Amino acid sequence: MIYESQKVATKYFVISAIFFGLQVIVGLLLAAKYIWPDPFIGFLPFNTARAIHTNLLVVWMIFGFMGGTYYIVPEESGTELFSKRLANIQFYLLLLGGLVGVVGFLFGWTAGRPLLELPVELKWAVVIVALIFIFNVFFTMIRTKKWTAIQGMLLGGIVMLAIMWLFGIPFFKNLTLDYYYWWWVIHLWVEGAWELIAASLMAFVMLKITNVDRQVIEKWLYVEVALVLITGIIGTGHHYYWIGTPNYWLWWGGIFSALEPLPILFMVFDTLNHVRHRKLEVTNRLALYWAVGCAIFHFIGAGVWGMIHTLPQVNRWTHGTQVTASHGHMAFFGAYAMMILTVIYYALPKLKGLEQFNQKRGFWAFWITTTCMMIIGLAFGAAGLIQSYMQRGLGIEFLTVQGFMRPWFMGVFFAGLGFFIGVIIYVIDVLSLAMKRSQ
Amino acid sequence: MGKKGARNFFVWGTVICTAVFIWLTIDTHTTIPKRTNTDKLTDEVVLGKRVWHKYNCNDCHTILGIGGYYSPDVTKTYSVRGETWLKAFLKNPATPDPERRKMPNLNLSEDEIKKLVAFFKWVDAIDTNQWPPKPITVAKKTGVPLKETTLTLMGKNIYNQNRCDLCHMIGGKGGLIGPDLSHVGKQRDPEWLVKQIKDPKSHNPNTQMPAYAQFSEEEIQALISFLAGLK
Repeated sequence: MIYESQKVATKYFVISAIFFGLQVIVGLLLAAKYIWPDPFIGFLPFNTARAIHTNLLVVWMIFGFMGGTYYIVPEESGTELFSKRLANIQFYLLLLGGLVGVVGFLFGWTAGRPLLELPVELKWAVVIVALIFIFNVFFTMIRTKKWTAIQGMLLGGIVMLAIMWLFGIPFFKNLTLDYYYWWWVIHLWVEGAWELIAASLMAFVMLKITNVDRQVIEKWLYVEVALVLITGIIGTGHHYYWIGTPNYWLWWGGIFSALEPLPILFMVFDTLNHVRHRKLEVTNRLALYWAVGCAIFHFIGAGVWGMIHTLPQVNRWTHGTQVTASHGHMAFFGAYAMMILTVIYYALPKLKGLEQFNQKRGFWAFWITTTCMMIIGLAFGAAGLIQSYMQRGLGIEFLTVQGFMRPWFMGVFFAGLGFFIGVIIYVIDVLSLAMKRSQ
Repeated sequence: MGKKGARNFFVWGTVICTAVFIWLTIDTHTTIPKRTNTDKLTDEVVLGKRVWHKYNCNDCHTILGIGGYYSPDVTKTYSVRGETWLKAFLKNPATPDPERRKMPNLNLSEDEIKKLVAFFKWVDAIDTNQWPPKPITVAKKTGVPLKETTLTLMGKNIYNQNRCDLCHMIGGKGGLIGPDLSHVGKQRDPEWLVKQIKDPKSHNPNTQMPAYAQFSEEEIQALISFLAGLK
């Protein structure tokens, strides 16, 4: 840490970690509902719990992105934040919005659209928070003497994130158009805006921990993000196979999403390459593990698993089954959760001025969460294959097939318990680092 | 490729792909009226969609394959289940089987149910490029009564309204909890069936099947004529 105002990131990281823990608790409840006759159906039915599970995910990741951005931007731009006060206000607004949203779900205050359940009033409140954030970041960046690719990409990512969000606000009369633009938020976030943010945060961390030449890192950043957007934007078409949109999307979506693993494969090579050519002895081995693990898990969960699932010939049978849940869990964990944890494990010790810190707990969290998430993904996948074969292939009734999937949901649940233990260790670690006195 | 080349690749790649995507979006819009029958997208359907959102149905059920995977997809529910079944189910989705996955009773009003069913009817006709796909193997079609009379039709309605199919299967459709009734007319005589419906425990004290003592004599006769015809 060089600039005083970077410290504002700490509280973002803490809330990010706590919400991560809460998300997993609700996830365990959801898994339990698949196995035992619906615990808490009156108070927390499946739909409400799912809304909370997915929205907590988005909120903790946004907290992570924002914290990461507030940490990185002053250092990249060589100046204090434009306004530390705004960054603080924005933090409390987002926290308040998140809590009101979750409590609102419990009382049935919802827009009733999956993943975009936030009621319209809160969606506009999110826009205000996003504007404050962009404003603050932008006016910090224009003080810079030299624009870097990392800065530009990061700014582009958060602006794109805010713009795509707008497509999730209106009410659509036509269900097909509703889902057409729903994907502009969901898909163009996770395979567009979020990738931009993630790639630039990651480039910064790699730059700092390996001290590889900036020109090299930034060149690869351009190439990767270019490939992400080239494949990802038209790749949105893999969601337009069966929703009432024309069948040429089977071609556009199929071909472009078959190419989607390419940029992620580049990221893996590139990360490993930077590590090999590092010019510094890496002291923060924990951040390095998360970074390399992120690249590999990202490739498996989002790249390989995602590509297979989005081939039209496969998707015809697996669409709307637990295969999607399998892909979703592995991809989000690999691409984003591990990326945010990398940033936090890099930035938090720096914020406290620690040259060395005890990485034992962090490594436990690393191995437990990655192993358990792999099992969760595979168990969901097995359940999804059974479902695709029996329900779609053999035409057996939905609920009858669910009975055959039960053993695999047990797998999800118990691996989920393990995952939860890993997350608790992580949360404790973040809290204890955050509470350390600055040195 | 240097950093400058990489940047140009990034800028032009993004611009071109965005342009193609917008062009495809515009073209998609021109096909929507025909593919989704927007002429039939009445106010009632739109209000039905609002009911769908109000109760957050989509976080348990998928529609067009999107949403929660906890409950059955409803894209084709109108043609698979039919209007009568849907209305009865939405009014009271309770199931006699304690082990079965439950849908909470949302206490929908008659009006809400009507609108929701109108919405399902419109969704059912969307051209989804033949999704969900037809199963590779289809269970052999049996379970049609030998003769269809007013009485057997009434019996079939009673069967559907009371959602006997949650537990029983006829012609490959229905649950697996109770026995398959596709050929029940061959296996059981009418007296046995009457007794089974009114008091299932008289045949098997451990059965999970609830008693339907509330049926009128006429309803029983209709139901029996339907079941006895399944040979």
